[in-house]
Amino acid sequence: MELEVRAKLAIYEHFAAVGSRPSVDDIAARVGVTVPGVREVLGRLRAQRVLVLEADGESIRMAPPFSGVPTQHRVTSAGASYFANCAWDALGIPAALGRAATVHSRCEQSLESLELAVSDRGPEGSDWLFHSVVPAAKWWDDIVFT
Amino acid sequence: MLFFRSEERVREWCSATGHPLRPLVRMDQLWELAHEWYSTRLQPDSRRPPPGEMREIFARLGLVGEFWNPHSDVFGGGGGARGRAR
Repeated sequence: MELEVRAKLAIYEHFAAVGSRPSVDDIAARVGVTVPGVREVLGRLRAQRVLVLEADGESIRMAPPFSGVPTQHRVTSAGASYFANCAWDALGIPAALGRAATVHSRCEQSLESLELAVSDRGPEGSDWLFHSVVPAAKWWDDIVFT
Repeated sequence: MLFFRSEERVREWCSATGHPLRPLVRMDQLWELAHEWYSTRLQPDSRRPPPGEMREIFARLGLVGEFWNPHSDVFGGGGGARGRAR
């Protein structure tokens, strides 16, 4: 398996296991390369839009659907807690994990809390709605805003 | 990409923030999108849907029109294939 795939898997498996982003040291230990080598791979994964990095070039801001920083979209599952980048990704986390989860979020206008149970077959019946300001062709123009 | 309690709340939010009202997506549709995008993300051969496949997924869920077109250039600045990256 090529290095980029191993690094990507290491990053996603870390997020899935503990709910937070791995450091470059974590990735280096998991993949068996040097820290400078990890930084180089992170740059390539960023260029491929697999990841979004912080300005320091090594801290993972997004490994969609996982967020490396706290957001208003939290997901709990099997005793672990995760942050999602957006409403779409909040449902993406149980889809990625392949197991039941609860999405904790809110209505952006009224701030009413959303607690949505999601099984491996999808969310419970709900009449809440999803709205994206940004059209599909523009999602990655500013992915953090999107 | 946000959750709202109802269409009325979306309209209030758009009015208050000056953002345009876009197509609304039901939770069952959002689950299908999330599953298409992310269900293989923890696997070695995971991939994002390319633009052509994105359009097929959107269309299957009834999400049609320029808003869901990854190649649309009607929103300014051209769209190209930027949508492929999600």
